Amino acid sequence: MTGQEREYTSTGVPAWKSPVALSVALHLLIAGVALAGWSWSNPIQEPPPNSISARLITQQKPEPSPVVEPVDQPDKEQERKELEKQKQAELQKRQKEEEVRKAAEQKKLEEVKRKEQERKQEQAKAEELKAKKAQEAARLKAEAEAKERERRKAEADAEKKRQQEAKRKAEEEKQRKEEQRKREEAERKKQEELARKEAERKRLDAERRLQEQQLEAQAEQARKARADEARRQEQAAAAKAREAQMLSDSQKYQALIRERLSQAWYPPSSATEEMTARLHITLLPTGELASVKLVASSGNTAFDNSALGAVRSLNRYPVPSERDTFETYFRQFTIEFNPKRLR
Amino acid sequence: MKLSAQAKVIALLFSAGLFAGCSTTGENMDEGGYGSDVQPIDQDGGSTVYGGGDQGGISSSAMSEDERMEIERQAEQAALRDITTFYFDFDTSEIKPEARDVLMAHARYLSSNPGQKVRLEGHGDERGSKEYNLALGERRANAVQRFLIVNGASRGQMETVSYGEEKPAVMGSTESAWAQNRRVELVFE
Amino acid sequence: MKQKSSFRLPTIIIAAIAVMLAAAGSAQAELLIRITEGADSAIPVSVVPFAENGSMPVGDKLSSIVQADLAMSGEFRPLPPEKMLSLPSKRSDVYFRDWRLLGQRYVLVGELTRNGDRVEARYELFDVNREERILGETAGAPASNIRSLAHHVSDKVYEAITGVPGAFSTKLAYVTLERENGKSRYRLQVSDIDGKRARIRLESKEPILSPAWSPDGKKLAYVSFETGKPAIFVHELSSGQRTKVADFPGLNSAPAWSPDGQSLLMTLSKDGNAEIYEMNLQSRKVTKLSNHWAIDTEAAWDSAGKGIFFTSDRSGGPQIYYMAKPGAEPRRITFGSRYNARPRPDSTGKYVYYVHQRDRAFTIARTNLENDEETVLTRTESDESPSVSPNGRMLIYATKQSGESVLTVISADGGAAYSLPASEGDVRDPAWGPIVR
Repeated sequence: MTGQEREYTSTGVPAWKSPVALSVALHLLIAGVALAGWSWSNPIQEPPPNSISARLITQQKPEPSPVVEPVDQPDKEQERKELEKQKQAELQKRQKEEEVRKAAEQKKLEEVKRKEQERKQEQAKAEELKAKKAQEAARLKAEAEAKERERRKAEADAEKKRQQEAKRKAEEEKQRKEEQRKREEAERKKQEELARKEAERKRLDAERRLQEQQLEAQAEQARKARADEARRQEQAAAAKAREAQMLSDSQKYQALIRERLSQAWYPPSSATEEMTARLHITLLPTGELASVKLVASSGNTAFDNSALGAVRSLNRYPVPSERDTFETYFRQFTIEFNPKRLR
Repeated sequence: MKLSAQAKVIALLFSAGLFAGCSTTGENMDEGGYGSDVQPIDQDGGSTVYGGGDQGGISSSAMSEDERMEIERQAEQAALRDITTFYFDFDTSEIKPEARDVLMAHARYLSSNPGQKVRLEGHGDERGSKEYNLALGERRANAVQRFLIVNGASRGQMETVSYGEEKPAVMGSTESAWAQNRRVELVFE
Repeated sequence: MKQKSSFRLPTIIIAAIAVMLAAAGSAQAELLIRITEGADSAIPVSVVPFAENGSMPVGDKLSSIVQADLAMSGEFRPLPPEKMLSLPSKRSDVYFRDWRLLGQRYVLVGELTRNGDRVEARYELFDVNREERILGETAGAPASNIRSLAHHVSDKVYEAITGVPGAFSTKLAYVTLERENGKSRYRLQVSDIDGKRARIRLESKEPILSPAWSPDGKKLAYVSFETGKPAIFVHELSSGQRTKVADFPGLNSAPAWSPDGQSLLMTLSKDGNAEIYEMNLQSRKVTKLSNHWAIDTEAAWDSAGKGIFFTSDRSGGPQIYYMAKPGAEPRRITFGSRYNARPRPDSTGKYVYYVHQRDRAFTIARTNLENDEETVLTRTESDESPSVSPNGRMLIYATKQSGESVLTVISADGGAAYSLPASEGDVRDPAWGPIVR
């Protein structure tokens, strides 16, 4: 790429906006921020744990006891000497006494001293003990304090943790609830889908059943047709066998009458399949209607009237010309109107 | 933020690294970086070319790539926002995949212009029952509204109304007319 | 089937007995003939032009109005007067033989007399075959109101023959739309059932939908977009006074009156999605009756005023549902196609009518609520807004003819269809008014 000549248009942008300068400036800015931030964000130092600053109380040196020196006195020679001797002897005695006394005193003193020393030692010991105890107490106190601080800190930490935990748990709970809601939603949708599928299945079922019924009806119809056909043949055969021409004649005319009446009947719109009107018919041999009487009402006037109207609307009923057959079947007969195929 | 010194140095280095890729005179640009987003403006002589292809690296200009990209993107968004009608299939209020980018552009615009108000008008085709179509139109408008809200617009900027089959965009009883009537229109106020 | 064979058997036995008896040369047998099917066509009836005493108001003759009414019902096939052999106006002039020759079942004859500003009609209806008078009455009306008189006669004739009260004196409410130069003009109109004497009740630049009659026939509830969004109004017809009863955020639509006229069912989406509510018109308080995230709309009370039919797409596409009482768990009624909407139960409680998609066509169908049997009633393909007559015998709906919406009346079992004369523009959203005494 370096070998290629590059074309570029100058867009008249000032030099200080060049990418280099910007880049450098930005670097400096970042560096500056970083450094500045450096000084700001001092990591917080942990305060050093309090050292136990208990000092052993140093023992006081016992004071040297003052030394008592005997005082010498010069006397008159002999008397003086005697006296001195006496004195000396007295002195000696006294000295002895004194010594004894002194000794005793010394002893006492030493005793006292000793006792004092002892006491002082005791005291020192006691003090030492006290100091030690104090030290111990202080140590304990410091320990306790440290523990307290520790504890408080731990508590604070724990509290913080608890809060964080609670927060986290709340978050989790929220999440869980959300998920649960989503799950429930999905579940509900699934249930809806299932219900819909179920309804669909039911519908298909119903359709299938309907189809089956229809097929059954068709089969039944075919069976019926065959049965009809068989019956017709049977009847024809029976008639032939019995030479009952009248019977076949009468049926032929029955069918004709039925057909004509069906075409002439206008069942009213309020008709139901439960309605049946029965009429008694009297015909003349010409096929004309002599009389008609309603013998059983359907319970609905309009329906009854429609039946009567139909019967009366036929100008001539198809009847066999053979008088015997006519008299047997068609002079008087009953017609029943009962709709079987209503939408 | 509690950053250790170490972390800050690393951060600094990384930020430096980020800008290392800036184009400067005489540097090469990674071809793959801009390939898909940027279109060549004019390949003839004398003009700036972006992107890969025979020209290879990105040429320089006085504007930074980011600025150019931004302008480009805004032009794209504005072009998307020219589309204010969204279509639906029969008896559904599902937003079509091809509508999403456009709706996103609108959502972004609404989000960054909180004073902008818009009315969402829902419609259906003429078939079936009027009242059901009225409810369906509303559901379509609501679907678009929800999409816009999820992508940044605020509810207060939007108003929905349904006209059902009462205000067709195209008269006629053909599939084409019906398809053009099953819609939601954005009307900016 | 069993019945048939059991029917046949006695016949054979009877016949056999008859043979034996006949062979024995004695008495007669009793033949029984069963008629189980009637004619599939409309009843031939003759409405003879009434004799006129005095000057009659200009306009359609009373007898031609009656003739048109009976034809519209789909149950009658009136004989054109030019085919009549005679024009009797009273019984003594009626030669039943003539009418029987013409194949007529019923003959209506009468006389109109002008009395000042009133017209009196004396009329009689005869059963041709029984040669009996089955209806006779004298009725009067102001001369300006001859149409109402005619419809009254039609109602009486219909009832005398079918046993069901006629619905020819009822009113029709509907909406017309004219578009010109990009502007729309909607008009809510009320007319006679044959489309005549139309009066504009509301005019608007914005859509008007779903007119619904109050049970007493005095008010209409409807949806109007005049405020920029759908709102429900109640409009008193005699005074023209309108009250806006529902203008909640979102939808306010599909109003339907309760049988006692005290409340309206309506579709509101104020709580997030389209649901069924009931509003007490006195207190204006609403009660929510449906509760599902799907669209629930187009509610209608059943004939007993106990349960509610409505449209819901909770199973994926719109279907008809039924709650046995308000707020009860709904039961799905339609399964036969993927789109069934806008249920309108009839007054008998036996059927519910609705818009039904069959393949690519939108037709009107009905379901028999006793046996769940569904029947498609129309042969047209872009049908909407079915409305049943108050006697349950006729249905009116809107359909497209040459690109425009027109109203068509059919008999409730899907028989003959009768298109109402087209007025200007689109005619849609018909609502059949109640029978008012």
